[in-house]
Amino acid sequence: MVTHEEILKIANLAKLSVAPEELDGLTKDMNEIIGFADTISAATADASDFDNINGLSNVFREDTVVPSFDREEILKNAESREDGYFLVRRRR
Amino acid sequence: MKDWELVCGLETHVELSTKTKIFCSCTTEFGGEPNTHCCPVCIGLPGTLPKLNRAVVEYAVMAGLATHCEINPNAKMDRKNYVYPDLPKAYQISEYDQPLCQKGYVELSNGRKIRLTRIHIEEDAGKLVHERGNTLVDYNRGGVPLIEIVSEPDIRSIDEAVEYLEKLQMIMRYIGVSDCKMQEGSLRCDVNISVRPKGSDKLGTRTEIKNMNSFSHMTKAMEYETERQIDLLESGEEIVQETRRYDEGTGCTEGMRGKEDANDYRYFRDPDLVAIRVSPEKLAELKARMPEDPQARFSRFVKDFGLPEADARLLIEHRRIADYFEAAAKGTKNPRAVANCITGSIFARLATDAEKEEFRVTVSPENLNALVKLLDEGKLRMNLLKSTLEKMLDTGKPASEFLSEKDLAGVGADDLRKICEQAAADNPNAVKDYRAGKEKALKAVLGAVMKATRGRANPQEAEAILSEIMAG
Repeated sequence: MVTHEEILKIANLAKLSVAPEELDGLTKDMNEIIGFADTISAATADASDFDNINGLSNVFREDTVVPSFDREEILKNAESREDGYFLVRRRR
Repeated sequence: MKDWELVCGLETHVELSTKTKIFCSCTTEFGGEPNTHCCPVCIGLPGTLPKLNRAVVEYAVMAGLATHCEINPNAKMDRKNYVYPDLPKAYQISEYDQPLCQKGYVELSNGRKIRLTRIHIEEDAGKLVHERGNTLVDYNRGGVPLIEIVSEPDIRSIDEAVEYLEKLQMIMRYIGVSDCKMQEGSLRCDVNISVRPKGSDKLGTRTEIKNMNSFSHMTKAMEYETERQIDLLESGEEIVQETRRYDEGTGCTEGMRGKEDANDYRYFRDPDLVAIRVSPEKLAELKARMPEDPQARFSRFVKDFGLPEADARLLIEHRRIADYFEAAAKGTKNPRAVANCITGSIFARLATDAEKEEFRVTVSPENLNALVKLLDEGKLRMNLLKSTLEKMLDTGKPASEFLSEKDLAGVGADDLRKICEQAAADNPNAVKDYRAGKEKALKAVLGAVMKATRGRANPQEAEAILSEIMAG
């Protein structure tokens, strides 16, 4: 069972703040997700089958340069920018 | 006061010199205007699909082979989760429990082997510029391929740490997988360090100093951190396990954050990337691509060419220099003269490590070979060798341009006898001393003979004639 403390720890690692009134709901959701994953754990299969479940290996790209994107395109979705950089503002 | 012993392990990051990034086809070229070497994959936009660069796997396997690692036939890539603006996806694609290479070692000159735990491939993060409390992010470096080389805590002194890192740098340059330029960040390391009473076999609590980007900073940071830990322990305090930063200005290390906070990376397999299989055939192909191991080359230079160890070490440090030496020494009777030409006159013109690495020299190895062969044939005296080489280096022209018939003719036996007689007559005191049993007195007269012939005389012949004349 996932505890409130674990939810807070995971939220902290993901830099999310969780209000006290949200805790019960999130804990319940997380337990359901993990319960679902337990169904998979119960399946009997060789672990190595999971290792390569799509049967593919060595899908490689050759080491050949392709022109990069225009900087305007790259920065288009940035919330803020400065001198061609992404700008990350200090959290208050 | 107790005697303390340093225990240290290094995590070394080496940027691979592939042309493109690890998961996209953007260039890996150093520098460039911010965010101009980027595409949706390396800025981590949702819905993009990373595709692994074949050369990255090949280079990493070669790095493993060069450091005596076992190559994992079944490797995979994992996500290492942490939230920081240098990683646009909030995870770094790395390798967790199935790295490409494991269990290698690097041997130091004192014979100790520093064991390698693993070598894995991963993507580099972007570059952050902190300004007025805000952070500017440039993702040009984001996605540049890295190998992380993790050593066991086998290093016992600062000197060993420096030599270990120098060895790694040399090996990686040798096999051509990285230029290992510390000033450009293509070689950098984290130092894990602890101290314990000498003779103890228990490990003390360690701290990790992040991102050392020069040998001198690493040395100073390790000196400071060792002293700090010893002081704490001697005054009865405890070491806190933590990550520390080295401040170049103050020469001190300072705590960054506690490990317990940072170490929860929640690794899991990257579902966007398929398994990496290194087949025996592939491994054989890569082994065939490997140049001679520098250590083996060192031994061969000492054994086959009769070089002093110090000279051999200087020559093998850069592959181009070692190749040049072999080409220039080919078929000569005097490989030591070739080595001296390189470590003397030629090195004098290559001031920095970077210049040695590039080894741009105006004299071709064939021309140096021809010069030393004149020495072999007795046509050229040692003292003309250096001045001729200097002229060759200035102009790039072969030795024949600077040596006259007279220079190469040597001195005939009759002439030599006359010159020796004159020299003996000019130095009556030396002759007297010699007859009184001071054999060294002959050397002074020999010097006069060599001077008079401008070095063209054969010293063995001159010595034989002089001993006859001076004995009276």
